[in-house]
Amino acid sequence: MNYTPKLPGRNHNVTPVSPLRELLVLLGGLLVVIVIAYLLLGLGADLLVSHISPATEQKMATVFSSRFSSHNKPTPREKWLQSIVNTMQEKGCVDLPYPITVQVADSKVINAVALPGGRIMVFSGLLNIVRSENEMAFILGHELGHFAHRDHLRGLGRGIVFAFISTLTGSSDGSIARLAARTVQVTESGFSRGQEAAADAFGLQMMNCVYGHVGGATDFFTHMPKNLDPGHIGHYFASHPENKKRIQALLVLQQKMGYQIGPLTPLPVWQKDTVRKKN
Amino acid sequence: MPDLILILSLTALGYFAGTWAENRHYRSIREREKQLLHIPAITMKDIPYPDGEICSSRLVEGSAVISIDYFKRLLAGLRNIFGGTIISYESLLDRARREALLRMKESAPDAAVIVNVRIETSAIGKYSSKRNIGCIEALAYGTAIDLKKQ
Repeated sequence: MNYTPKLPGRNHNVTPVSPLRELLVLLGGLLVVIVIAYLLLGLGADLLVSHISPATEQKMATVFSSRFSSHNKPTPREKWLQSIVNTMQEKGCVDLPYPITVQVADSKVINAVALPGGRIMVFSGLLNIVRSENEMAFILGHELGHFAHRDHLRGLGRGIVFAFISTLTGSSDGSIARLAARTVQVTESGFSRGQEAAADAFGLQMMNCVYGHVGGATDFFTHMPKNLDPGHIGHYFASHPENKKRIQALLVLQQKMGYQIGPLTPLPVWQKDTVRKKN
Repeated sequence: MPDLILILSLTALGYFAGTWAENRHYRSIREREKQLLHIPAITMKDIPYPDGEICSSRLVEGSAVISIDYFKRLLAGLRNIFGGTIISYESLLDRARREALLRMKESAPDAAVIVNVRIETSAIGKYSSKRNIGCIEALAYGTAIDLKKQ
């Protein structure tokens, strides 16, 4: 047998496909799958939310109670915030199936959140920059709007879907999970924009109901510190162009409903001192 | 956002550095394959020479370890979701096998033939996948036959 030395003409073991093309195809496919799955599962969560009874919601709230444990005694700030919310509920401005409790959490974050079980968490960073009771009432009214529209449960539902997708894609590679997380976040922000607008409208309605006018509703957006770390800004002030749109929407609504602008109710004296000290 | 920037820069680095290293390696492989073409490396166990002509026989081996880059890992990770041929690993294995064969031949430059050639592959650092380390080793071995000088 003769040995004939010969080099192979073509490498049969390596597929002649551009790796960049492969990346684009796979990445595109993954993004489409994630968005579709998120939309479908999110839709499922939305449908489920309308069937959650107030009693079940109270049970769900126990999950959070360990994380945001309530103080033994409400602080003066909490009492003040609570009184604003109570006025809204007593005047019949809002009809919620459970009482709302307001709590203050120490954090630089400028935000307030609606938690299941009728709890509003206001971060002290936000309290340090409000200038009138009306501004605060708008924010609390906005949060009550989230309760009335059940957005806080919807948020949870989507949160679960988000965690599920992250786990699903996270098994193979950490970077893919992060990429998936980013996609879902972008999708999420589109959803929440609509919810925020609805809650804004609700907040405006609350102000008109309690004070008989809507003065100070948009003040909060305008005197936000310009040089603020974006990480500390919550869902009130996601981005500057977004703020302008929200202020504009509020002004349009105010005109449409014929709401009046009246004198602002000043902050309690001790709250004023706190704000002055922090600034 | 910093997460995304990190992923993108690592992927870009993996792609450019990985492609550069791969092209360079392939050039070297092709060049050396031509130079060592005169040494037959065959899988047969039979020695194609009469006993009288054989001077000596010995074990020869060559091994190569090739590392994966971030870009290839990302591609493979995406493939793991959808299934199918992981093309990003093909060139990795191909390079490792050919490099190992070349090193085996280079360790016996005077051999008349290398018989009973086998190639084995193993993954290194597969338990360190969480630390993003991963590479493969190819080991080629056979029996080099030296002939008596005539």
